[in-house]
Amino acid sequence: MTDNQNPLSPHLQIYRWHISSLLSITHRISGIVNLFSLILLFFWLVVLSLGENNYELFLLVINSFIGKFILIGFTWSMSFHILSGIRHLVWDIGYGFEIKTANISGIIVIASSLILTIIFWLLGRGLI
Amino acid sequence: MNKTRQWILHRISAIVLAPLFFWVYFSLISLSTKNYQEALYFFKNPLFLVLTIILFFIGFFHVKISLSEIFEDYIHNKKIKDVANILTLILSIIIPLITLVLLIYKI
Repeated sequence: MTDNQNPLSPHLQIYRWHISSLLSITHRISGIVNLFSLILLFFWLVVLSLGENNYELFLLVINSFIGKFILIGFTWSMSFHILSGIRHLVWDIGYGFEIKTANISGIIVIASSLILTIIFWLLGRGLI
Repeated sequence: MNKTRQWILHRISAIVLAPLFFWVYFSLISLSTKNYQEALYFFKNPLFLVLTIILFFIGFFHVKISLSEIFEDYIHNKKIKDVANILTLILSIIIPLITLVLLIYKI
């Protein structure tokens, strides 16, 4: 088979952005980010098994600015992927295909994923 | 695997993973403020240990199906696609197994 040089789907460079297409590709990207967050959890357990000194060092990295940024990013990615996944499941059952409904549910997914991230962070860090 | 069964298992794994991921993220954020002993204590809890192991096995099962779908869409060269699928399969078996061993024997 010869390599096809045509641009691959979903042709991100060509189409005008809509909420539907934005959420579709973000669902995939956040899914891949979630894979990295699983790998982070794996790494977390590996470091934990290596003893106290290594774990304390790991905690320093996690609680640095970059560490927090990554952890918050992963939390958002997870929230988004799950909420967007629920939207996909509703479609799978056969509801919510009208353009207006799909746009509204898309906005709800974006907004609630942000709110959920903030709530998770505040609750998890014991700030509220 | 039969594509219809794969589609259904993908959805079922998603439904199982959603609460597990919420739980594990809440725990990780909370563990990041706690010390080594508390983290050790957390993962020694039998319920949390089992949940973490389930998360890894079902999580990587979900990853395997999802990534093959993505490869199907974006990789046109069949050979590269096959290699990518095999690497994903190996990864999604090995990582949960190592986690299992770590959690049971090392932590």
